[in-house]
Amino acid sequence: MQRAYSRTRILLALGVILVLIMADHLNSPTFAFNSGQGNVQTALMQRDESACAPCGAPCPSTRD
Amino acid sequence: MAEAAAIRAGASHPGWQIDRFVVTTALAGFALVGGLVWLETAPFMVALFAIGTVLGMALYHGAFGFTAGWRNLVVKKRGAGMRAQLLLFGLSSLIMVPMLHSQTGLIGAVAPVGTSLVVGSFLFGIGMQLGGGCGSGTLFTVGAGNIRMVVTLVFFIVGTVIGSMHLPWWLDQPGFDPVPLVNTLGVSGAIIAQLVGLGLVAWWVNRIERRAHGSIERNELLWKSQSHGVLRTLVSGRWPFTWAILILAAGNALTLAISGAPWSITFAFNVWGAKALEAVGVNMSQFEFWTWDYPAIALKDSVLTHIPSVMNFGLLLGAMLAAGLANKFNEASRNRPEARQFMAAVVGGLLLGYGARLGFGCNIGALFSGIASASLHAWIWFACAFAGSLIGIRLRPFFRLPN
Repeated sequence: MQRAYSRTRILLALGVILVLIMADHLNSPTFAFNSGQGNVQTALMQRDESACAPCGAPCPSTRD
Repeated sequence: MAEAAAIRAGASHPGWQIDRFVVTTALAGFALVGGLVWLETAPFMVALFAIGTVLGMALYHGAFGFTAGWRNLVVKKRGAGMRAQLLLFGLSSLIMVPMLHSQTGLIGAVAPVGTSLVVGSFLFGIGMQLGGGCGSGTLFTVGAGNIRMVVTLVFFIVGTVIGSMHLPWWLDQPGFDPVPLVNTLGVSGAIIAQLVGLGLVAWWVNRIERRAHGSIERNELLWKSQSHGVLRTLVSGRWPFTWAILILAAGNALTLAISGAPWSITFAFNVWGAKALEAVGVNMSQFEFWTWDYPAIALKDSVLTHIPSVMNFGLLLGAMLAAGLANKFNEASRNRPEARQFMAAVVGGLLLGYGARLGFGCNIGALFSGIASASLHAWIWFACAFAGSLIGIRLRPFFRLPN
């Protein structure tokens, strides 16, 4: 049975995604922290207990 | 005679074929991304990545689509998919509500109730039927190589970013703070109230099916595959709904235990879209949403430290692996979609994204995790998204989408 996809395109798409992830990571505070730079805030434990929604939105009652 | 019987048996149980290229690529991707997460973040993130992978496999092998389940009830008057979802919510509620209130440091999926929630979930419901999937459905079908769903995902991301720019305005419209049912009913009371609510929805679903067909197909209660043995079904699908329900419920509970918050999907799309805009020079901090603590830090730091993003990467690879094991990767794209179907993906994706941001999540983050956290907003989300879905189903023929 003939394949329904092109192997090259699949590898290309995944390669692009990986490059984007790496580019993002190499410019991040976490990478800087891992490289020995101190005094950076990383997002590893990101839960915001004061927020009113999973996306970090504030409570309607706190809005002016 | 024996030969003829063997041929007949072969026809009814065709050889077990896997797509080695797709399976190998998915496993290589899993090792690569998992290795990066391990090296650069923390072991618990690797665990969450692995959970995302298993969830992606469960969604694909279980064909656990919220969108199709709702449409089957409305169009074909069949309720197995819908009842499977209700069973999932009930089981998760039993597990996660006590967890949330017996351990400190765990935060449930609660959200404000108001105009933003109602409008957002309604738009999301329309988008589900036009886009062809919800948050999880879009991701696992993309992972399985569906080209039209890639378009839906891209515009889903665009929609979430637009939604994030508008959310502060929507939050200023009438509404009130989150209503955790546990605060008024206690843990047991909240669980009982939710089980009664789910039971009532199940009764309504059964009534529709019985009226249309005279009886009810209990496919959601099957434990064994009717076509293959247990091992083959486990590896290459299709799983009975019960397997998917157990894995999805366990996956969400583990996510809560490990990360401190239930499973969510669409906030990652927000972050990806905002990062893309920042990469082309847009200053996202001009928008109020991106000045709030959690979005601001998620935008600034690596996606490898962002829990929903890492779990989504796992989900995509898990669905790819499952599709390869089932030898069905890209199967849905064999027939090239028509232009109008692509247009439906664009419109649907935008509505999904905008709706998810205003409605505080998708079927996973707002509905599944919301009910598992006993939050009132999840029930309102459910009702409004279903109402929107009714409109979306009516719009599908215009976009030449089969119902």
